Amino acid sequence: MTIKNNTLALSLITVLTVSTSDDALADKLDDIISSGTLRCAVTLDFPPMGFRDDNNQPAGFDVDYCNDLARVLDVDAEVVETPFPDRIPALVSNRADVIVASTSDTLERAKTVGMTVPYFAFQMVVLTREDTGIEGYDDLEGRAVGNTSGTYEAIALEQDVEGWDGGSFRAYQTQNDTLLAVAQGHIEATVVTNTVAAATVNSGRYPGLKIAGDAPYVIDYVSLAARRSEYGLLNYLNLFVNQQVRTGRYAELYEKWVGGTPVELTVPGVYY
Amino acid sequence: MFDYTFQWRSALRALPDMLAGAWVTFETAALSMILGVLLALALTVMRRMDNPLPRAFANLWVSIARNTPSLFQIYILYFGLGSFGWHISSWAALLAGITFNNAGYLAENFRGGLKAVPDTQMRAARSLGMSAFQAYRMIVFPQLLRIVYHPLTNQMVWAVLMTSLGVIVGLNDDLTGVTQNYNVRTFRTFEFFAIAAVLYYLITKIIVLVARLLAWRLFRY
Repeated sequence: MTIKNNTLALSLITVLTVSTSDDALADKLDDIISSGTLRCAVTLDFPPMGFRDDNNQPAGFDVDYCNDLARVLDVDAEVVETPFPDRIPALVSNRADVIVASTSDTLERAKTVGMTVPYFAFQMVVLTREDTGIEGYDDLEGRAVGNTSGTYEAIALEQDVEGWDGGSFRAYQTQNDTLLAVAQGHIEATVVTNTVAAATVNSGRYPGLKIAGDAPYVIDYVSLAARRSEYGLLNYLNLFVNQQVRTGRYAELYEKWVGGTPVELTVPGVYY
Repeated sequence: MFDYTFQWRSALRALPDMLAGAWVTFETAALSMILGVLLALALTVMRRMDNPLPRAFANLWVSIARNTPSLFQIYILYFGLGSFGWHISSWAALLAGITFNNAGYLAENFRGGLKAVPDTQMRAARSLGMSAFQAYRMIVFPQLLRIVYHPLTNQMVWAVLMTSLGVIVGLNDDLTGVTQNYNVRTFRTFEFFAIAAVLYYLITKIIVLVARLLAWRLFRY
């Protein structure tokens, strides 16, 4: 009798221990699924990737991408609005689970966060005012230029400015401030993604702005990002990106927000 | 759940650049203090005038400066004037913004200081045959400055910390600007901001220390 009771107690204890230690072994992917909410850090002043629509609701390619991810995980999506420079702190301080904010996959950043395979790619173009006489990227030398702090194109442009004779570089905190600075004449030109340039010129909010040719930068591939140690989540995200292309959803979203043929996400001649 | 691995070695390689930024920060704050004190003295005198025009102007300045966020003041100077086609540099917008603010706060300090100098001092000076300007310059202001000395130090510390707002109008060579630049390039946010915080702390501590030494030297009878 007592032996039976002991065995029962022991097995109960074992079951309890196993079930609690199971929680301790749960990784981020489990946490997201069991919490029922996926929190995406999205930058909302970067149309058409992320912006607020007429009803002040988050919208854009990145927002849809986040919703797709939440759907396959069978949880609710929560968009955490995050300015460009604050994307990583949002992740590290656990205010977001995953970054879906057109984050360029630089090697410098990959030391800090885990990057997935590219899920989107940008071509960079020169954005200037009609009265500056700038016709292409080479005309930027010696001019006052600027960009949004923390973007791929800001880092590339600033590096070029350092090598040029004269000219100056200013960094603004949001994409809107950068556009305003060009429109008002604080700076003569900036380099932005083709998507932002098109959205800006078409919006009619900044009269007198024009696109002056491509910038000669390496194609800007962007990735989803999660904590560097969360392999379970990163593996899932990689597969998710692959499936988005495979099922045609990527092309569909590209058509919806950008238009035209979707950009190739693979680099020819090399494995990722 | 804070699982962040600090990488101090690579972050500390940015120290020379950050120190250069700290120098810009200090210079800007010092300049804003010098201009601020001069403006505040002018405002203090204007507020005591019989003529209602300068009095109203000075009162308006002080009340706007003290009751609106300096972030807005700097932003409006840069992007607000920009919309009328006036372009001032990021640094100028920052300097003008914190000087405007500084002058407002200092004017209020000076008003208190002035109230603490007895009226009889002025009367005595005038009865010795001094002009009003002389009496102010030689009798009232020296006593006033002694009273407001420590609030001035306090304001200088505030000015140093306020220079960090330059980053919102695109300033990128002060301490915050340099820090933010490294932050966005590498995403090692915590290291860079921690280093910057230590540098700000050191700058202000040094200012307070120097001010104490100066006070000890200046106010000996």
